[in-house]
Amino acid sequence: MSAKQLLAVLIMAAFAGTAFAHKASDSFLYVDMDASEVRIDIALRDLALLVPLDANGDQRITGQELRAQRTLATQAVENGITLTGEQGVCKLRGQAWGLSAHSDGPYLATQYRIDCSNGELPKQIEYTLLFDQDSLHRGLVQITSGETRSLTVLSPEKPVVDLTGGATGAWDTFGTFLYEGIVHLLMGLDHMLFLLVLVLPATLIIRRQSNQTPTHSFKSRLLQLAGIVTAFTVAHSITLALSALNIVRLPIAWVETVIAFSIAAAALNVVWPFLGRKTWKLAFAFGLIHGFGFASVLGDLTGGVSNLAIALAGFNLGVEFGQLGLLIIGFPLLYALAHVRVYQRFIVPLILMGVGIISLMWVAERAGSI
Amino acid sequence: MHPVFSLPALRRGGAFWIGLGLLGVLCSSAVMAAPSPIQSDFDDDAVLVTLPESAPASDGARSSPEAMAREIQRLISEARRSGDPRFLGYAERLFNQQASQGLTDPLLVLRATLAQSLHRFDAARQDLETVLDRSDAPAQRTQALLTLANIEMVQGHYDRARPLCEQLTAEYPGLIASSCQAQVAARTGSAKAAYNELTAATRSLSNVSIQGYLWAQGTLGDIAAQLGRGSAAEHWQRVLSQDPDDLYTRAQLADWYLQNRKPRQALVATEGYEAVDNLAVIRAVALHRLNHPDAPALASRLRERFEEALWRGSMLHQRDLSRFELDIEQRPKDALQHAMANWDTQREPLDTRLALRAAIAAQDNTALGQVRGWLKQQNQSDARYPEES
Repeated sequence: MSAKQLLAVLIMAAFAGTAFAHKASDSFLYVDMDASEVRIDIALRDLALLVPLDANGDQRITGQELRAQRTLATQAVENGITLTGEQGVCKLRGQAWGLSAHSDGPYLATQYRIDCSNGELPKQIEYTLLFDQDSLHRGLVQITSGETRSLTVLSPEKPVVDLTGGATGAWDTFGTFLYEGIVHLLMGLDHMLFLLVLVLPATLIIRRQSNQTPTHSFKSRLLQLAGIVTAFTVAHSITLALSALNIVRLPIAWVETVIAFSIAAAALNVVWPFLGRKTWKLAFAFGLIHGFGFASVLGDLTGGVSNLAIALAGFNLGVEFGQLGLLIIGFPLLYALAHVRVYQRFIVPLILMGVGIISLMWVAERAGSI
Repeated sequence: MHPVFSLPALRRGGAFWIGLGLLGVLCSSAVMAAPSPIQSDFDDDAVLVTLPESAPASDGARSSPEAMAREIQRLISEARRSGDPRFLGYAERLFNQQASQGLTDPLLVLRATLAQSLHRFDAARQDLETVLDRSDAPAQRTQALLTLANIEMVQGHYDRARPLCEQLTAEYPGLIASSCQAQVAARTGSAKAAYNELTAATRSLSNVSIQGYLWAQGTLGDIAAQLGRGSAAEHWQRVLSQDPDDLYTRAQLADWYLQNRKPRQALVATEGYEAVDNLAVIRAVALHRLNHPDAPALASRLRERFEEALWRGSMLHQRDLSRFELDIEQRPKDALQHAMANWDTQREPLDTRLALRAAIAAQDNTALGQVRGWLKQQNQSDARYPEES
């Protein structure tokens, strides 16, 4: 037996004899940014969906049958993967072709040199192989660049991944989550209502004090309110981080019910300060609860994010900016209204009642799903 | 070498998996083993792989809603029988190619069944409620009621499961409906009575369909195990003698053997099912307990499997992974994290038992209190649970 034959037997022994695990279909893509190489491993079973591997129809694929379809197999792989550089699509130059092993059996492995124009590095990889055959198929990507190796996943919903990573990636992440934070605050009615209720007592105090220090109070109140809002942000940042890092985990149905309840309590507190007049302390305490609520939103967004800390920071700052922005626009309006007589007698009670009713309705609705 | 996942998977916390595993692994510091070498010298005559007999969806499946339903039914059955999730992907692809509004009731029920298999319980619930709202066809209603009751039961919403079982009894009386009611009763404090009533029902009802018989035996096995009775194994064996590929029952039986210090019988029950994750994990634990020479090999194959699953971000294997971490890797903290993530959405006795065992091993009183508090609230006791100390 020649050394080559022996090796072939050993390889087969590694494959045979074990029942291969059943798993959802994955391909493996190894991108080496230093050597500008990419390797794609696709399960033979999946490849058989794209290329007629089983020539004699006996459900068994032999080495010969695979070799016979090498051209078609290579084409299929190359059609499913696109690497792009600054100047457009990069060329793939075949380097190696053969079998490899993963937990569910043998794979066809193909290695390429990535040739982009001007010798630059590829910027992104797009992958569409097999998504039309199996919607649960995924491309598992490992990107090696210098000392760092990162893992990510390509899916029908997200078939493109950025290969450059590093500084720009971190800034992109930060920017994206900053934006998401602002959007979330502006879209989330419960947080807006909570903010409104926190702001209201300050406008009332202003009205009472306006006789003595009418010009001074607007600016100082605005600053004080910014403090209240910041206390809220600091508090929810803490719990959001605890929750996102999976250190503390609370059932979301409970959290959302308590959030709704906290809004009602804050509204009641304006009329009857059973929780005290120190609004910033109230904001801090309730901020702790609201942070767990933000975590559920953030969890939906962080799929595939490689730097959670940056994402968290961006999101928190975004929420803070959103709040301060609202305050800058909203507070002068309320402050102006506060000088109208009906404000304190009708508008404020009406707002408080409205907020109270809405939030209690939320309580009932959300408690139902506990 | 295995990857060091510096951050646990982010969870939404509610009864919803983050867009099925579309969550990239979050570490730039992950250390993956180098990929296995590319082997170009393979033999021409060697059989590299044997394709499954069941083919993926053919294109003819889209000719009519009936043809599509038949095809999807076949694919889902194949996935259940073999434990091979690729068939779920083939089925889902057929749905993706079809406009959602045009789906017939049978297709909606099938889509819900598919969603349930993928642990997308909220999506499943929504489709089933649509069918129950608009359909008068007994076949669809029965299927929808049963599937919905099953989802509520699995998630531990017994208050929601109970009326569904009652409605099922009204619309489709028989052993399946009786099993449904017995299961709810057993998990909310009346296991003995439920066992006796369901046993009586299996004797009194004539004209019993084979499905009804198997369903009742499976349920009786579960309640017997809950009561700590040895007859559990007999009930489950009756199911398996008729349907050896009922993987759910097989896993329950194998686990029961393991728990009752019969690892050799657990080996017999899992023989030939190493391809299925949960049976493979039970088998690995049994081999480990017996100090069997095959134990390291299976454990290392499972390790590779779970590494790939973590990379993929698939959340379908939390229970198996937790069990593996607890009983093979002896990492109770990691085990607890996966057990609790699993317990958030699935609260069958084996899920609850795993959560309790992991919490005790990790000495985490918060988690332990959370699970025990819930059990108390449901009035649920189970001989399979570790005793309170």
